[in-house]
Amino acid sequence: MKIQFRRSYLFAILGVILATFVIFFGTIGQSQAGSTPAENRPEDETAIDWTQSKAIFSENTHIILPSKYTAANLPPPEQDPCLHCHITGEDKGLWTPLVRWIFFGGAGLLFAFGIYRSSSVWVNRAPWKPITTRTADWFDSRYEISEPLSKFLSKPVPKFATRWWYCLGGITAFLFVVQGITGIMLAFYYKPTPEAAYSSIQFIETQVNFGSATRMIHHWSSNGMILMCTAHMIRVFIMGAYKKPREFNWISGMLLLLLTLGFGLTGYLLPWDQRAYWATTVATEIGAAIPIVGDLILVFARVGWDIAAETLTRFYALHILILPLVTVASMGAHFLMVRRQGVAKPL
Amino acid sequence: MADIDTQSNDNSVPFYPDHVSNEAKVVIGFSVLALVIGLIGLFAPVGLGEPADPMNTPAHVKPEWYFLALYQLLKYISKTAGAVLPVIAVIVLTIWPFIDRKPDQSSKNYKRRAILVAITMLVLITMTIWGEVS
Repeated sequence: MKIQFRRSYLFAILGVILATFVIFFGTIGQSQAGSTPAENRPEDETAIDWTQSKAIFSENTHIILPSKYTAANLPPPEQDPCLHCHITGEDKGLWTPLVRWIFFGGAGLLFAFGIYRSSSVWVNRAPWKPITTRTADWFDSRYEISEPLSKFLSKPVPKFATRWWYCLGGITAFLFVVQGITGIMLAFYYKPTPEAAYSSIQFIETQVNFGSATRMIHHWSSNGMILMCTAHMIRVFIMGAYKKPREFNWISGMLLLLLTLGFGLTGYLLPWDQRAYWATTVATEIGAAIPIVGDLILVFARVGWDIAAETLTRFYALHILILPLVTVASMGAHFLMVRRQGVAKPL
Repeated sequence: MADIDTQSNDNSVPFYPDHVSNEAKVVIGFSVLALVIGLIGLFAPVGLGEPADPMNTPAHVKPEWYFLALYQLLKYISKTAGAVLPVIAVIVLTIWPFIDRKPDQSSKNYKRRAILVAITMLVLITMTIWGEVS
C-alpha cells in the first residue's frame, strides 16, 4: 500500500506536540518570583543609589551596578539594568548556554552532515530522496516494519464506525493520555506528606510556570474522563455491542470504569484540604459498610482505622503507579480485542 | 464468529489515512479544549479549601460527585444494603453479556435498552442533584 501523507495534519499534530512541550518544559522551570529567595534580596529594593555604582563583574562584561550588589547577590531580574549579563557575566546560568550549545551546535552538525550527504548524493548521481524516506528505508531494511505496518494501517474501518458516537471511547483514551502528561507535570512538585501536600499544591498554583493551568487541565480532564467513560458504556450497552463474541471486551471495559473511579477516589485525597479529607472519609466508610470484608477494605484503604500520612502515601502510590500500570495493560487488551474482532455491526 | 467482519471492502474506509485523520481532528479539538481550560486555569485556578483537620468535621461533608448518588442513597436505606447494592450492581453489569445472550433481532431491543438506560440515568442524576443541594 502506498502510504499517503497529508501535510496539514502533520503540521497540526506537530503544533499540538510543540504546545505540549512548551508547557511541559515551561513547568519544569520555576517562575522568577519563586527562584530568588527573599533573604537574598536587598532590603530596600525601591531606593537604589545609582551614584554609588561601580563595576563588580569581570572587565569584559561592562556592567554597572550599585555597590551593595555583588556577583553572589544579584539584583532581582525586574531591577537588573542588564538582564543578559546574568548569562555573560561571572554568575553564569547553566541552562541558557547549555541550550544554546545544544541547539546551535546541533544545527551546525546537522548542516555539515547535510552538506556531506548532499555532496555524496551528487557524486553518486543517486536519485534524490527526502530525509524522511531515507530514514524509513534505513529502518525498513533492518527491521522490515513496512509490511506489517501497512497491513495495520490499511485495515478497513466500516463506514458506520465513523459516526461520532463511536469515538467516545477514543476520547476517554485521549483524556487518559492528557491525565498522564499533566499528572507527570504535577508530580514534579507534589509532596505526598500531610505536612507538605497542601503547601506543595499552593506552590504549584502560585509559583510554578503554568502550574495552575496544569492543575486545571488535570482536574477537568478527570471529570471528563468519567463522563466519557460512562457515555461510551451507555453507547455500547444500548447498541448491544457486548454480545457474543465481545463479552470479554465488556468485562475489560467494566474494569477500566472501576479503575477510572479508583483514579478519582485516590486523586481526590491528594490536595489534603478539608474537602479532600472528609470526602475520602465518607467514601471509604461506604466501602466499610460491606458485610464480612468491610473492615478489611477500610483498613486496606486507610492503612489503619484513620486517614493519616500512610493513607496519603498509599493513595499516591495507587494513583501514580499501580492504577496507571493496570489501566494501560487493560487498555491494551481492550484495544487489541476491538482490533481483532472489529467494531460491532449495528442493526 | 459470525458477525466478525474484518475483510469486507464495501462500505468501509481505510484505517489510514481516512480514519486516522478523522481521529486526529477529534484529538486536535480536544487538545485545543484542554489548552483553553488551562488558559482559564491561569486566571481562575482550581484552588484549595481549608487545610485538612481531622479534629474538625465540616458541616456539609460530601464525596466526589460520582459517588454522590450512592451517598444520598445511604442516607435513606440501611448502611449494609447501601454498600452491598453497588457491589451487586457492578457484578451484574460485569456478567451482563452472559445474562443477556440472545442476539438482537430488531432495533426494538435497542429501544428497550435505551429506555432502561434512560430510567437508570434519570434516577442517578436525580440522586446526584438531590445530594448536591441537600
